[in-house]
Amino acid sequence: MMAQNDNKFNINIILIIIAILVFIFLPNFVSGYYVRIFTAIFMYATISQCINLMSGYMGYLPFGHVMFFGIGAYMTAILMGRGLPFIVAIPFASLTAIIVSIILGFPVLRLRGHYFAIATIGMNGAIMSVAQNATEITGGAMGTTFPIILLPPGQVYNYFYLAFLGLMVITTLAMYFIVNSKFGYGIRSIKANEDAANSMGINTTYTKVSAWAIGAFFTSIAGGLYGYWMSFISPDEVFDLMFVTNSIIMMLIGGAGTILGPITGAFIIESLSEFAWSGFMEYHLAALGIATIVIVFFVPKGVVGTIANKIKNRRIALSKKAEVSNG
Amino acid sequence: MSLQMLVNAILLGGLYALMGIGFSLQWGISGIINLSYGAMVVLGSYLSLVVFNALNIDPFISMFFTGFLLFFLGAFIYRFALQPSIKGGIVFTLIITFAIRLIVENIILLVWSADYRTIRLSYAGTNFQFLGTFFPLTKFITFLLAGIIIYLSYQFMTNTKIGKGIQAVALDKEGALAVGVDDQKMYMINFAVGTALAGVTGSLWASIYSFSPHVIDVMIGKVFIIAILGGLGNIWGAAAGGMLLAFAETSGATFLGSQWQEAIGLVIMVLILLFRPHGLIGKKFFG
Repeated sequence: MMAQNDNKFNINIILIIIAILVFIFLPNFVSGYYVRIFTAIFMYATISQCINLMSGYMGYLPFGHVMFFGIGAYMTAILMGRGLPFIVAIPFASLTAIIVSIILGFPVLRLRGHYFAIATIGMNGAIMSVAQNATEITGGAMGTTFPIILLPPGQVYNYFYLAFLGLMVITTLAMYFIVNSKFGYGIRSIKANEDAANSMGINTTYTKVSAWAIGAFFTSIAGGLYGYWMSFISPDEVFDLMFVTNSIIMMLIGGAGTILGPITGAFIIESLSEFAWSGFMEYHLAALGIATIVIVFFVPKGVVGTIANKIKNRRIALSKKAEVSNG
Repeated sequence: MSLQMLVNAILLGGLYALMGIGFSLQWGISGIINLSYGAMVVLGSYLSLVVFNALNIDPFISMFFTGFLLFFLGAFIYRFALQPSIKGGIVFTLIITFAIRLIVENIILLVWSADYRTIRLSYAGTNFQFLGTFFPLTKFITFLLAGIIIYLSYQFMTNTKIGKGIQAVALDKEGALAVGVDDQKMYMINFAVGTALAGVTGSLWASIYSFSPHVIDVMIGKVFIIAILGGLGNIWGAAAGGMLLAFAETSGATFLGSQWQEAIGLVIMVLILLFRPHGLIGKKFFG
């Protein structure tokens, strides 16, 4: 039995490595349009992973999580405007996001359920107001620009494709190891019953704030990359709740509380939304809304969750069969 | 703070109070954070515009029509979209109400485009003076009507059979079921009343201010703050929250500049959440 499991584990690893290799070389074979779509998918998958850690595993819905996306984008823009290269600006931006998440996390993570979700929306709005009104630093509501990259556009887009792919893979690996560590069990116990976890000796405050800081770290890197990719950002754009709403929908569709769920969901929703854009230009918002409602109704456990359930049921049925034939 | 500013804040506060009540009832009693609330308010404004253009009827009269229409829309949405998904928890209802908002916004964009629209009433510029301060006539009528509707909804909640049923379900669901109250029906009526109040607010809003699909985001931000300030499911609490937000915005705009108006409200909301999570009025539940 043990050997069989090990074997399966190896096959999964090989499959994942093959998939990553295919995606690394994909831009050489498809047009720029698809490269752009895939880049967006990787970006959403990254944000969705962070929200999955908070919501899917820990049970806290961070509706205003987009604030870290915006902070990452703006800090990168400000530092690059001062002449720092991108590689230096990004660590500072993510450090800022981590500091903000810790400062805000201690008071706001005491709230539960609805109240936590709403408080994060409020904080996002307040930080967006600062970005809109601190005109000397952020460029105000007009937005700000990044330095232009002096390379052919096709090549630049391929670099961003690879960067977002790398970010998604690293985030997913990090989430895998976090969730399966002792710290990860602490996170899950908070979802199951926070008071019980506390009385079992898990430092819930520390666990919650750390999980939020981890989410802030990866989301802010995605934000910085997004800003550099778009080369122009404005407060309305990078603090838009749409980013988080989309990521939450992706997490739900793929399967909340599973490692591959957010990635699967990102592929499904982003292709659907791209199809809605090209197919029903004027109705794309309504099409997206209707598709969301239909999906939430018919796959409430998410694609990955549903498939995993089916496999589990089949295994149980098979083992019962084996028992019957043996006995 | 001059007397004129005080009057302006009170007149604005009446509208905010009315706007917050529907949202607060939906959240506090039906347990649904309705992200489509802003879209419903703006839809009410557009319905009033249609009636005004076609029949030349003031929004002060057509608000009954919009309230009536949105009551049934709310009941329909609750019955067919929210009731089946409510056991999925906060994530599902948030996502579904957001999807409804997208659909309504798309319909508004298709039918009326993204331009700002206004309803020009013939007496819109009229003022009257009292104790040295100016009262714009339309704002004054809006304030009076908002007060009357708030009073009527309070009477509905406390003195009618359905209203008492709704309160019973809000206080103790199992107990209400045991004495024969249909809980899902009560939740549905409560949600529909909330949506109707959104439509009425939209009509009143349209008589004073211009509106477009962009207003939806502003509205949803404001109703969150009002509901949190007042405590959920509490009519007088939400009314007080609306007044308070109007005072905070008016004084904040004077002392810090109008661009910080939204940030002030949001910061107050977060502080209230942290220190008085049951709202300023302070009771855990109304009843």
